[in-house]
Amino acid sequence: MSARALRITLIVLTLLGLAVASYVTYVHYAGIKPACTAGESCTKVQTSRYAELEGVPVALIGLIGYVAIFVTLLAPEGENTRFALAALTVGGFAFSAYLTYRELFSIHAICEECASSAVIMTIMMCLAVWRFLRGEVPPGSAMGAGPAGQNATPDSAAPLGSAS
Amino acid sequence: MVPYLGTLEQKSVKVACMSPVESDEELTRKQRREQARADRKAMEDAAAAAAVRRTRLTQLGVVGAVVVVAVVVILIATGGGKAKTPPKVGSAGASSTVAEVQKLIGGIPQSGNVLGSSTAPLTLQYFGDLECPICQKFTLGALPTVVSKWVRTGKLKIEYRSLETATREPETFKLQQVAAYSAGKQSKAWYFIETFYHEQGEEDSGYVTEKYIQGIASQVPGLNLATWTADRSDPELANEVTTDAQAANNNGFTGTPSFLIGHTGGPMSKVEYSNPEDPTFINEAVEKLLKA
Repeated sequence: MSARALRITLIVLTLLGLAVASYVTYVHYAGIKPACTAGESCTKVQTSRYAELEGVPVALIGLIGYVAIFVTLLAPEGENTRFALAALTVGGFAFSAYLTYRELFSIHAICEECASSAVIMTIMMCLAVWRFLRGEVPPGSAMGAGPAGQNATPDSAAPLGSAS
Repeated sequence: MVPYLGTLEQKSVKVACMSPVESDEELTRKQRREQARADRKAMEDAAAAAAVRRTRLTQLGVVGAVVVVAVVVILIATGGGKAKTPPKVGSAGASSTVAEVQKLIGGIPQSGNVLGSSTAPLTLQYFGDLECPICQKFTLGALPTVVSKWVRTGKLKIEYRSLETATREPETFKLQQVAAYSAGKQSKAWYFIETFYHEQGEEDSGYVTEKYIQGIASQVPGLNLATWTADRSDPELANEVTTDAQAANNNGFTGTPSFLIGHTGGPMSKVEYSNPEDPTFINEAVEKLLKA
């Protein structure tokens, strides 16, 4: 997968996660029932004591996390931003794992929005860690984005939307 | 690039003057040197790549370790499910709960598990689970307004009914709900129910024990504990819990709190809500029925 395709995939996943987290945060503050196909289980999760962490809604924590990931993805690609993204997604994955544990073993109900966010975050973590470990992809290589022989500034990516 | 090519051209001129054996030896030596150089470069590149990879893995390892520590801290901070014992009678916590409950429902007639005047024109059936946190939100958030606005004024009576949702063990559910109904035999079910919701423990932590239930009962003002204890074995109360579950099932209720409202003795209809802490949904339903 080219660096550009990988970046776009990550951005699309982040936007999906942002949409889910925004909706759940809205539901939390509006005090309304979330859309749920599994009866009352979503309400049960979102009104449980685990829906907040030290008074801060976990939905809001998720939203802030996705915003941070989004900002990192928009920054010029380099070793530091790849590491930041990997770190953020590892953190997001761990937090999702904790929430899923609470859903399964403490609340005994599954919230569909939380589960979908957990799946998104898991995929993002895998992609971000892979992206960080493989590092800079030379242009023209089998994994690279640019055509052979094209010059590329090391540790930087072409802005999204520009031809590669 | 150009000087290198020039060297090669010079070499080729020189080779033309040599014997075939000398040429082969020279080329082989040169190839070996280049091969060795290329091998050395490849090894250096591989070593550098391995070092970078090790650094990245170390960085990820540090991140992973920090994240694991953070999650463990959160798990500990959010509780592992310690059993909760209600405050002892006479303690500051107990006095506060008793005072709050007394202020909310004191002086309102009770009969069995019904709060409110027996002649109230409207009846609200409240299907709840004493361990359900959403029921707690309703009971502590919306119910006080409903009680003061409609129950205390004699327009509405509220019948508490049982539907198991949050309680994991059916035996525990029956134990706690029957304990409330048993207090109802002394017309004090709502004191028990309110006190339970006020002091509700962490969901699914197994806090509801015999000691806990007795602790709740001991905070009900004027409850004869000996009679209450004897009444708990009355099979009629256990049957009532079963009947409540059937009624909930007949109405398609799967969650708590769920509500039915209607004119007393008449047909009942469901009351939907979006925010259990906002009494508006009940206020609107009552107003509509009173106008009808």
